[in-house]
Order: sequence, then C-alpha cells, then structure tokens
Amino acid sequence: MATRRSPYWSWSASAFALAGIVVFIFATFGPPASSSGFVTTLKGLLAPVAPEYVASKAHYRAMPGPGSWLMTFVLGMAIGGFLAGLTSRSPVRDVPEIWERRFGPGRAKRYLATFVGGFLLLFGARLAGGCTLGLFISGSTQLAVSGLYFGAVIFTVAMLTARIVYGRALEEGDR
Amino acid sequence: MTEIWLGLFSGIAFGIVVQRAGATNGDEMARAHLMLDGRIPRFMVSAVALAALGLVGLQAVGVGRTMVLPTSLVATGVGGVIFGVGWGLSGYCPGTCWAAAGEGRLDAVFALLGGLAGAAAFAQWHEVLVPALYLPTNLGPITLARWTGSPVAAAAALAAVFGAAGWVMGRAWGSD
Repeated sequence: MATRRSPYWSWSASAFALAGIVVFIFATFGPPASSSGFVTTLKGLLAPVAPEYVASKAHYRAMPGPGSWLMTFVLGMAIGGFLAGLTSRSPVRDVPEIWERRFGPGRAKRYLATFVGGFLLLFGARLAGGCTLGLFISGSTQLAVSGLYFGAVIFTVAMLTARIVYGRALEEGDR
Repeated sequence: MTEIWLGLFSGIAFGIVVQRAGATNGDEMARAHLMLDGRIPRFMVSAVALAALGLVGLQAVGVGRTMVLPTSLVATGVGGVIFGVGWGLSGYCPGTCWAAAGEGRLDAVFALLGGLAGAAAFAQWHEVLVPALYLPTNLGPITLARWTGSPVAAAAALAAVFGAAGWVMGRAWGSD
C-alpha cells in the first residue's frame, strides 16, 4: 500500500495533533464546534439588514453573534487552511481527480454538487445539534451517546452515498 | 476578548492539522468513504480515543468545561442521514470546508455557500422541525458513564474500542 508518495501526515501524527488541539479547546473554551459557526456567521450577516427577523427566530437567539469564539474559530480554520496549503506539496484542485474520472472535468457540475452537499451538511447538522466536530468528535470525547450515534449514522450513510456517486469510477479500476 | 483570540488560535491550529491530515482533499475523503484508504478514518477515531483520555486528565485536575448534547432518536438519526448524504456527495464537513476554502479549493467555497443556505433554511423552520422531530424522542444528555458507573472506565473502554476500530480499518483498507 505504501507506494503512493503522500504529501500528508500519517494517521498517528495527525491524530495526536488533533487530539492535542481538541483537549486544548476543552481546557480553554469548552466543547469545540464548527457547524454553529455557520449560524453565527449568518446572524452577523442578517442582523444589520433584518434585525426583527433575527430576533424572532429561536435558532439565531440560541447562538452568539460574530464577536465570539465560534466566529473566530471558523475564520481561523480558513486561515489555517491557507497557511497549510501555502507550505504543502499537495496540489490544490477545484475538482477532485476521482470526481473528474466519474463526471468529467466540468466545474459547474462539481460546484453544484458541493453546494447541494453543503446545504445538506448544515441542514442535517443543525437538526441533529452538531457536525463531525461539534457532535461526533466533541460528543464522543465526552462519552455522549448522541455523538456515537451520530458518528455511526454519518459514516454509514456517507460510505453508501460515495458508492452510489462514484460507482462507475470504482469499476474502472481505482486502486 | 480573550475568547476571540483563543478561538482564532484554535481555529488556525485546527485548520493546519486538517489540511496536513488530508481531510481538506475531496479525493482523499472519497477514497476513505469508498474503503480504498483507511488513513483518514483511522486518524479520526484515534483522535477521539486520545482526546477522550486527555479529557479524563483535564477533569481529574478540574480544568475546562464540558457540555453533553442530548440524544434525540429521530432528530439525531435523521440529521445524521441528511448530513451523511452531504458528506459522501461533497467530501467536505462543516469544519473542513472552511480550511479547504482557505487552501484555495473553489468547490469548497461552494460547499460553504451551500452550508450557509442550509443553516438559514433550518433556522427558518426551527420552530416547526424541533417540536416535530427533536423533542418527542429526546432522551436527554446521556453518556456511556450511565452504564459503566465510572466516567474513567467508560473513557478507557471507548478509547480501546476506537483504537481497535482504527486498527481494523487501517488493516482492511490500508493506512500508510
């Protein structure tokens, strides 16, 4: 298996680094979360133009506005991605290779798919109460049944979805 | 004020690590979902195992804040199904799409915009969806410690199971 020269860290180095950050966040803030940051971002965008709407909605009332840990955490994540990308040997692509083999190089189709995918991610996360980080990682770290249950469902459904989406590319001998 | 700087620092560190783990790369994520590469799933479950042990240490010295989210059989499950379709289709998560957008991947920018639309749609219908789907099957903030009695034993058991699950995925799908 170790034939591909990977630009990425090993699973163990990545896991120690991420666990260290998660424990740091528990110590200095509380359970880390990122899907809540979308609600905070929206609250910041909508409050100046539609203050009455934002005040009337329970979901916005439940989340802090943009002057908060949640906001700077997601912005920091974008900055971290930028800094890591600058110093990485991994090529940055707008359309993943496996997607290109299955659907061709057209960008519009990929962008539509990630827009729809993003919509489903956040709609589902807000319904469940969190995302991969806020519910699965944070929750399981605290031994929460919600996090373990959510994790089992998302891994299973994502694996089935990927089979349906990439089925033909798989048959054409990806491996 | 301190919170804002702590959030920024934590976010930058988190973004760097998820990029270096390969989790911002849709190709790597698709290969993980297709069971062609076990590196990312093994990284995820191992990080949880280590963080659970770290949190036991924090609690032993009385540092930090925890907050367990409730389990709603219907809302957590249905939300997970909708989320899983989005994850399998796009290869991004609500966290990784920020890091991938920062890295310069344009498809992640569209995932981010779609995410804002999805969060806005849920916020619009929160008053209908939460009483209909979340509250009726809400079991409250239950944890494994409910069955083991001791949180330390539960954390050790969870770390062992997650570590073993990571090892199996690594052996079966490869994790080099």
